[in-house]
Amino acid sequence: MKLFSKGHKNGASNPPATAPPVKKDLQVPQISPLEKRLQDMGSIREDGSDKFYGMENYGNTCYCNSILQCLYYSVPFREAVINYPQRTPMESLEAALAKNLRYQNPNAHLEAEALAAKQKASSPPSARQAGVPPNPNQKPEDKESPEYKKKVALQTLPILETKNNASSYGMSESLFTSLKDIFESVVASQARIGIVRPQQFLDVLRREHEMFRTAMHQDAHEFLNLLLNEVVANVETEATKQAFADKALPPTESADSLGMLTSSTGSKSPNTTRWVHELFEGTLTSETKCLTCEKVSQRDEIFLDLSVDLEQHSSVTSCLRKFSAEEMLCERNKFHCDNCGGLQEAEKRMKIKRLPRVLALHLKRFKYTEDLQRLQKLFHRVVYPYHLRLFNTTDDAEDPDRLYELYAVVVHIGGGPYHGHYVAIIKTEDRGWLLFDDELVEPVDKSYVRNFFGDRPGLACAYVLFYQETTLEAVMREQAQEDQATAAAAEAGEAGKSNGSPFSPPLAHAQSAPMPPENTAPFTPLSRIPTAPPLSTYPEEPSEHSLASPRSVQPPLPPIPDESAPPLSPKKSDHQLRKERRALEKEKDKNEKNRQKEQDLHNREMYRREAEELKRAIEASRADTVDFAAENGSPRKSSSFGFLKRGSRSLSQRLSKEKEPRVSTSDLSTAPLLPDAVPEAPLKEAEPAHSFTKPVQPIKPIHQVQPVQSPISSPKDFPPISNPKQPKQPIQPIRAPEPLAKDQHINHTKPGHTARWRSFSFKKVS
Amino acid sequence: MFVLPPPPPRYTIPVAYAAGAANGMAVPVVETNNTITHPERGCPLQVGEGTYILQDDLLLATPPPHPSEAPIINPNPLATLPTPPTSGVKLSLVTLDPRKKPPTFLKSTATAPQFGDGNPALAAPPVAAKDAAKRRKPKNNIIKSSSSFVSRVITHETSAKRLGDRDSSGIFAFANINRAFQWLDLSSPIKEEHLTKVLFTKAHMLCHDVNDHTKTSSHLDIVMGSSAGDIIWYEPMSQKYARINKNGVINNSPVTHIKWLPGSENLFMASHANGVLVVYDKEKEDALFTPEANGHSEEVERLPLDVLKSVNSKNQKTNPVSFWKMANQKISSFSFSPDQRHLAVVLEDGSLRLMDYLKEEVLDIFRSYYGGLICVCWSPDGKYIVTGGQDDLLTIWSFPERKVVARCQGHNSWVSSVAFDPWRCDQKTYRFGSVGDDCRLLLWDFSVGMLHRPRAHQASTRSRSSIILPNLQTNNRHRADSGDNRVRSDSNETEKYSENIDQTPSHPVEPRSRTALLPPIMSKIVGEDPTCWLGFQKDCIMTSSLEGHIRTWDRPSDSVKS
Repeated sequence: MKLFSKGHKNGASNPPATAPPVKKDLQVPQISPLEKRLQDMGSIREDGSDKFYGMENYGNTCYCNSILQCLYYSVPFREAVINYPQRTPMESLEAALAKNLRYQNPNAHLEAEALAAKQKASSPPSARQAGVPPNPNQKPEDKESPEYKKKVALQTLPILETKNNASSYGMSESLFTSLKDIFESVVASQARIGIVRPQQFLDVLRREHEMFRTAMHQDAHEFLNLLLNEVVANVETEATKQAFADKALPPTESADSLGMLTSSTGSKSPNTTRWVHELFEGTLTSETKCLTCEKVSQRDEIFLDLSVDLEQHSSVTSCLRKFSAEEMLCERNKFHCDNCGGLQEAEKRMKIKRLPRVLALHLKRFKYTEDLQRLQKLFHRVVYPYHLRLFNTTDDAEDPDRLYELYAVVVHIGGGPYHGHYVAIIKTEDRGWLLFDDELVEPVDKSYVRNFFGDRPGLACAYVLFYQETTLEAVMREQAQEDQATAAAAEAGEAGKSNGSPFSPPLAHAQSAPMPPENTAPFTPLSRIPTAPPLSTYPEEPSEHSLASPRSVQPPLPPIPDESAPPLSPKKSDHQLRKERRALEKEKDKNEKNRQKEQDLHNREMYRREAEELKRAIEASRADTVDFAAENGSPRKSSSFGFLKRGSRSLSQRLSKEKEPRVSTSDLSTAPLLPDAVPEAPLKEAEPAHSFTKPVQPIKPIHQVQPVQSPISSPKDFPPISNPKQPKQPIQPIRAPEPLAKDQHINHTKPGHTARWRSFSFKKVS
Repeated sequence: MFVLPPPPPRYTIPVAYAAGAANGMAVPVVETNNTITHPERGCPLQVGEGTYILQDDLLLATPPPHPSEAPIINPNPLATLPTPPTSGVKLSLVTLDPRKKPPTFLKSTATAPQFGDGNPALAAPPVAAKDAAKRRKPKNNIIKSSSSFVSRVITHETSAKRLGDRDSSGIFAFANINRAFQWLDLSSPIKEEHLTKVLFTKAHMLCHDVNDHTKTSSHLDIVMGSSAGDIIWYEPMSQKYARINKNGVINNSPVTHIKWLPGSENLFMASHANGVLVVYDKEKEDALFTPEANGHSEEVERLPLDVLKSVNSKNQKTNPVSFWKMANQKISSFSFSPDQRHLAVVLEDGSLRLMDYLKEEVLDIFRSYYGGLICVCWSPDGKYIVTGGQDDLLTIWSFPERKVVARCQGHNSWVSSVAFDPWRCDQKTYRFGSVGDDCRLLLWDFSVGMLHRPRAHQASTRSRSSIILPNLQTNNRHRADSGDNRVRSDSNETEKYSENIDQTPSHPVEPRSRTALLPPIMSKIVGEDPTCWLGFQKDCIMTSSLEGHIRTWDRPSDSVKS
């Protein structure tokens, strides 16, 4: 590996072209490595791709920080969050920022140190500042330690406080809006670097989710799960609200949304809210081949991420292949074959039928060990390449050779699942790879990403990998850029041999730049791909086909009454946006009452329908217990919001496998509440968002030792992810058409099945 | 209202930031000896021709760190300091017995011209006839060296006697481990005891090669490339050495692979981690390298090869002999074709580049399925090239047809080394083996007949064309100006091919559905640490691993075709 050498020569070695717009003051003694890499950035961009904010840690909230950072740099996701339901007008953001963004004295830490030194001189022992964890090893503070750097960052960088701004874009406060608040204020801020205080976000999170209320360590993957599902739920709630509003409008003005709405009795999510699905969702098919009659039956389910089992000395490629490996259904797990009628031995395998645009891979590093009766962290060496294709696709998958590139890695540092630290290493659009360690943001080398295969000392292992789709052309272009960058750097630095600075030279920023920086169109990295899955293929929404079919570069437009929704493009002028908003507000006022009435009515009707459906479904599921095969494909139709549930279900899909042992205990306590809670969630927009989460608190922090803290038990603590069980399909012998009903029957009518899966999955795991 | 307790320290367990060696391996504190075990009935490799029996497992001792170079202790696993490059154990085997030479499959006996033929500046100086037989040795004695590069040399107390008594048909092995470089006599009854062990101060030797052309019972030319970029020319019999590219004066990036030019006494090629291929002369002095005018500058810039110094340069008094910049990506490995005219180079960017190295030209570029490529080798007849990489695949490429012929799926992790078994190859069938980070050894057979069976033909009733269409389209658009769709390939077109190129030849990645898939004939976990090297000998298969296990399997009797 080439050592990037010339720490101090940077200024000199810069070619003149890159020098000018640098705002750094040469008088300032040290300029941070991040600032170095951010030299020559030009003017502030509108899409937020040039903002590099650390996030304050409020005590074990690194799980949240690392995931938020990964999502912020998932370009299409960020664009969508910012633009849904619309961009907040600039002035209102600026006004908010004026209050919320606090610049600090860049030399604060020097002064503080001087002060501390003075204090120390007078009162030696405890000059430690509150909030700064003790650092046993270093008596004088080690300036290279992350702790010190974080402290300095907190003292010197601009601090960005986010406040609830949801009303300015017409939503009630939710996890989504607080996420949007963070993203928007970072994008709008004039400072390129700083520190976000995600206090408001955490408040909402903790208000709505019991398990995050403690200051305990949490599982980052689980949090990702939760967050994506919450965003889906919030957005759909909003969409329903909008849709009702639309319905109240004269048909001419909202023909489109009305059209959508008419079909909404069956399928409740309008296309325009599907942007989370668009990005993270893929379809798995489980193919079951009866060994008696050779008939192959298929069942589809969707996933938002894949959790893969690990093996020592393997690669993610191989883990994914294992994920799809054939599995025998025999003995107690026999398969009920429709064709030959009866329980038969069968072969089953899971394949990917529709590839997601963003592939989130969860490496199951926390494994339940029976002898220890708890989760253990696996330090297997699992290598992951910078690029990936999926081998486990079905024969009829579209674009089965899709190329993915690694762009974010969440790293868990620590010996077990109940404690430790999370950081994120992220490939930014044009500044190469950066390490986000709470408040600290540092540029790193591309090869740094490979330090977390799991075999190195220090207990740091990759835990969640984010791959996004790309093309070979894009990859080659990027490699060419890397070439140029390193060539220039090498030329400039040929002389210096010292490796005093661990960091790349200033030019290294061009390394791994995925896109030319000037290209600000949203979705650029992905939109080029000719083979993106068409929008219209969701089987459960056939009626929307015509609406959805033209696949555009941009994500679908959110439904906004009386006016075409603002496109997600940041290029859209603020002026226009503002105008739209004003118009929108007027319209809203006008229709407020109308809508309310309509809603109430509709709500009641929906409830009734839901109840009926639920009953039907439960019955159906009972019937299905004995007739497993009959349900192939059917779940789609049965529930109006089945979509959401499936999403969340398959989310935690693989997760559940390892979690099973405890699933059963915690599940029983929470499950009875779920069936009610879930159906309501998306529809009851009038109700405060958190109300439905209330009942789900049977698990108190008292149990911490196991259920609460562990990544495993948690999904069932959140109604929105509500069905931690379903995910088990790959190994599950019986399955109901209606997920909800299934949950019920699992928990109440036939608890025995749970045990069965469990044992099976253990077999598999071992 | 309850009050949150004060936040716990963020790094709750000190062990999370505990110290450790930079590359994750145990670091011994004292110099130890190699050990050998003979696992009974351990790890047999069962294939059609019989069973390969594991003869022994020789564990090389990892040397302790140099006193002045205490292992880097960084308690922070997130430290952004780059870790120094290192590599697992690789072997260079040499035997003087002509009967142990691998069979050759080349029909034409026309020898390729030497590299740099036609450049009078490179012509060897005339030597007196009687000196010609005598090999020139490097200048410095490595045992008495005061260089700060070499730490110390440990010779076996009876090494002279052992050398004198040994069976002249035996195999010598040279192996790098950490900062040590060991010379072993594999035919010795005490083969675990090294003949010589050279300890370097800081640099790790990453690769090495023995000159097949100059070896005699009293002379072996070895070159080895280090993590510091320095190259050592070492003659073990006389314990002499010379240091080339001293302090990285020509190129300061680590040497990833090194090979003597086929048939050359003096010239060897080294690939560096910064994408540079350099040919050095073992006897020339270094000179500070400044890029010379591109010898091909009058031509259209069509090669992704920057000839910074051509072999045809008039200035050949000092090293380098030639200096080519391929890319800025790391060159993982390269391999010379059996006809000694071509070169296959694999890079971290996932490309396989075929060169006519005598003409200093890149002929073709292929891409891995995904991820970087790690290893490459040629079939003994020069018709096929096999690469292994981070897609966990081995890929067979046809050299004359310039296309991928099959992908071989069977590894569970990255493929680190691949080699053909010339004793089990003939005109129609080929045997090769591969090892990888999954600790496995895999053996593969393929025949010409089975290779030309695209999977899509046999299996699918569905038309796949719609699926791969997008790929092709972009590709065609990309090269629309060339007006020539090169997706098809034809074995007779090779010549024409290289003539009508008006831009970088490059091929799209073949979709999975159109590529034959080859399963291994044998797959075996051979150890507990990643395997990193594989070699075939007339009577055995050998592997070496990251932590220093050298394993030898005896071939089944009568299995070698003679």
